[in-house]
Amino acid sequence: MSALHGFPQPAEWKGKALPRIISRLFDVPNGHTLAVAKQHGAYDWFGSTLFDKSQFELIQTVIDSGLRGRGGAGFPTGMKWSFVPRNSGKPVYLVINADEGEPGTFKDRLCMARDPHLLIEGCIIAGWALGVRTCYIYVRGEMLPQIQSLNHAIKEAYDAGYLGRNLGGTGYSLDIFVHRGAGAYICGEETALINSLEGFKGQPRLKPPFPAVSGAFAAPTVVNNVETIMAVPYILKHGPKGYRAWGSDKSPGSKLFSVSGDVHKQGVYEVPLGMSFMDFFELAGGLKGSLLGCIPGGSSSPVLTAEETATATMDYESLASLKSMLGSGAVTPFNTDRDPVLMLQSIARFYAHESCGQCTPCREGTGYVDRVLDAVVDGHGRTGDSDLLHALASQYEPMTTICAFGPGAAWPVQSFVTKFKPYFDAYIAKNPNAAVPRQLTATAPGAFM
Amino acid sequence: MSNLITITVDGREVQVPPRTQLIEALRGPAQVETPAFCYHQDLSVAGNCRICLVEVEGPRGFAFGIACHMQAAPGMKVRTQNSSDRVKWARRGVMESLLVNHPLDCPICDKAGECTLQEHYMGQGKHESRLTDEVGKQYKGGADHRFTDTKGIERGGKAIDLGPTVVLDQERCIVCSRCVRFMDEVAKDSQLAIAGRGDHAYITTFPGQPLDHAYDLNVTDICPVGALTGKHFRFQQRVWNLKSVESIDPSDSLGANLTIDYAITGEGGKVWRLMPRRNPDVNKSWIANRTRMLYERLAENRLVEGRVAGAPATLAEAERAAALALSGARKIAIVASGHTTLEENAAALALADALGNRAEVFAGSWLPAGTPDGIALSNDPVANRAGLKLLGLGDTLDDLARRAGEFDAVVLFHHDLLADAKAAPIASIANRIVLDAWDTASAKAATVAIGVRAWAEIRGTMVNCKDRIQLLQACPVVPSADLEPAWAILARLAGAGWTSEIDGWKAAVARSPRLTGITYRAIGPMGMALPQAAVAAGVA
Repeated sequence: MSALHGFPQPAEWKGKALPRIISRLFDVPNGHTLAVAKQHGAYDWFGSTLFDKSQFELIQTVIDSGLRGRGGAGFPTGMKWSFVPRNSGKPVYLVINADEGEPGTFKDRLCMARDPHLLIEGCIIAGWALGVRTCYIYVRGEMLPQIQSLNHAIKEAYDAGYLGRNLGGTGYSLDIFVHRGAGAYICGEETALINSLEGFKGQPRLKPPFPAVSGAFAAPTVVNNVETIMAVPYILKHGPKGYRAWGSDKSPGSKLFSVSGDVHKQGVYEVPLGMSFMDFFELAGGLKGSLLGCIPGGSSSPVLTAEETATATMDYESLASLKSMLGSGAVTPFNTDRDPVLMLQSIARFYAHESCGQCTPCREGTGYVDRVLDAVVDGHGRTGDSDLLHALASQYEPMTTICAFGPGAAWPVQSFVTKFKPYFDAYIAKNPNAAVPRQLTATAPGAFM
Repeated sequence: MSNLITITVDGREVQVPPRTQLIEALRGPAQVETPAFCYHQDLSVAGNCRICLVEVEGPRGFAFGIACHMQAAPGMKVRTQNSSDRVKWARRGVMESLLVNHPLDCPICDKAGECTLQEHYMGQGKHESRLTDEVGKQYKGGADHRFTDTKGIERGGKAIDLGPTVVLDQERCIVCSRCVRFMDEVAKDSQLAIAGRGDHAYITTFPGQPLDHAYDLNVTDICPVGALTGKHFRFQQRVWNLKSVESIDPSDSLGANLTIDYAITGEGGKVWRLMPRRNPDVNKSWIANRTRMLYERLAENRLVEGRVAGAPATLAEAERAAALALSGARKIAIVASGHTTLEENAAALALADALGNRAEVFAGSWLPAGTPDGIALSNDPVANRAGLKLLGLGDTLDDLARRAGEFDAVVLFHHDLLADAKAAPIASIANRIVLDAWDTASAKAATVAIGVRAWAEIRGTMVNCKDRIQLLQACPVVPSADLEPAWAILARLAGAGWTSEIDGWKAAVARSPRLTGITYRAIGPMGMALPQAAVAAGVA
């Protein structure tokens, strides 16, 4: 992981201080061990700071902090917690979504490798707030070093009395289990994750009921991203005001951004929300070449053109106004040497491969889009193929599907073919028969064999 | 009724029962035809085909939702294909997607004519396809899809042998998961699963394991396309050539509701298959393979003529011989049968009345009543056992076997009694008159054997093990036009002058107060629960 840039990152940038809320120990040697973490203040809230607070106070604190889910959808965390029914007679589960799979995103793996104790701290605080006895951390199966680091940290926490029975003499008990996934992108969707956790095929469930009411093992369940939960200890210690000191009014706090693509220092950076993209690129060593566009929040977020990127800031509202989204904070700027058609082909292939195969529009649509793109790239494109791609993607865009995978797979297609249409037309023009419509039925013998 | 709630469908207010699935509310009270592939009334909701998309008003205006998963709630505002172009557009898109990887082999597909995909293409699709073969289909029937599993069994592709009864044509599958849910939820034996993801997802059994459940043919009925077909009906008949009559399972005392599908041809016709008929109070949508294959026996080993003292005779000659034997007999045992209708048993009772004190009626069966399987079988082979009780007949076969020496004639119908070892004393009664549809052991051992119509060829009623009276209807396909129902022959021997089974029904009603006031029309195709004895007595 030493190949990643970003840490140590400067204390301030463009005259503004850079937060170290989540990345506090990222550049501290052996920061993943309890001894070092404690020197830097880990678990110093363990005691009356937490246990004197009621569950409702704690949830209100998180609501007031304005913390939003950092996994991609950006749902207000405190509100999600407040949906959990009290006294349902069932246990409440906390599930940490560490199935980081959005192409371009590599922040959670760093969190779990460098500072697993902060995640455990967050789990204990969220567990106390929600009355959770059992917490699962669902980790992408490929992330073996991170799983080892987590398991090591969990053992240390048990040995030190931060986990297990009767925490701090309060009678409250919490267990954390690390569950390895099998590396399916769709298992980052919370209900698919729950299915996978229960041992079923990782396919999203029909909603309602939402997990807050009936999730894991049909009990109320809160599913939170790693980074979201890691922000909670800071909010507990510094209060909503302390957290809101960072970021903008509507998008308070800090966010980890994993930047890849055409910048000189690709890596993970923690910056306050609301920073402009151009400032951020400078922080990441500056752009290589001249900017053509930028994927602002992971491969499923609609792409931005260079002009849009120049005006955009890194927060929920600015990107929403550009009809894109902050997503998981995976920023991928690309320069004029890149081919948007090939980029989209790669993205579309990913979504065709990762579609769970459950509901029709996404199952058949993503595969078909992939094959049309292949035809375009291979020089078999026809006039109107960019409109066809847009129309096909639109069929699974407006939540005609069970989960948000459909829209997430459609947005890149729609935005690329709209914003980079000349590139697609150039590919299509390579086909001398571009004007001839495709044959509708195969006449070749054996076509249906 | 006050417990109904009001929803708005396409601007119309519709009253529906609370907590109805929206799709049922639309199809029922709202009278809006709503398509579905994955939704099935007797299975859990999977919501994966998306063809039932409607628009429902939410906090952010009208948004898509699937009618099969949503429940009707008070004040719900719904837009269907009748008022929303967006719904039409979305459904056309779903239809188009479903057809991307579906072959156009309707002309050779057994499901054509009763295929949900065909029906809904006409209703919801009718689009100019933008999805061409040139770009490429993922035909799961292609040679590329054949592979050998870890147990060395060939899988994928066309005409996959899933087990003893079912064949899978993978390329036609639209991955609706109905068959998987049937095996999980109804058969409770998860023999089928969807493997793979995306448009490579396919239905399969576990490596080395066949699909061999006693109910597995039901998956061929619920398959909305021609992917799963039964070996017995594969490439046999086009379904639009078939007519059907509604009947029940005559081999089991639950009396699973079914239809007899037959075709009339120049040579008389043939019964091609039995299909389950949905009755939520009896068998839901399911019948056992055993029941389904009963149609094969309708053309096998039939007794189409008579036989007198082992020599072939016409039906009329045999009937005369029977009349002669009865008139000369000193003491006659008539054995009522639990394998046939109330009407035929009423005719037997009429014969006993006509013969006066020379005749004695026995009834019952030595076949044990098994334990119900909870799906569509009670496992009691005596289908009308409850009907015998209703006619006041008890289990008296042991009595007959013990006192067989007192009798010099016995009348059996639709009951292969003499096949039972316990029946040896009965088999030595001098005159043995047997009316049966099949050339059974009893018919072979008879002194006078008369062929009659089988269960599929008669109209009548049976009472099932849950005290429900159900109708059998007559299918016009008979092995010989001369064959008559057993009740007609018995009534003639009794000199009763009956002209139809209605006379039998009236005679049955006269013997059982609980049947008072009930008509065939009231029973209807769905049957009716018999009124409680006390209430019926009050009415009488």
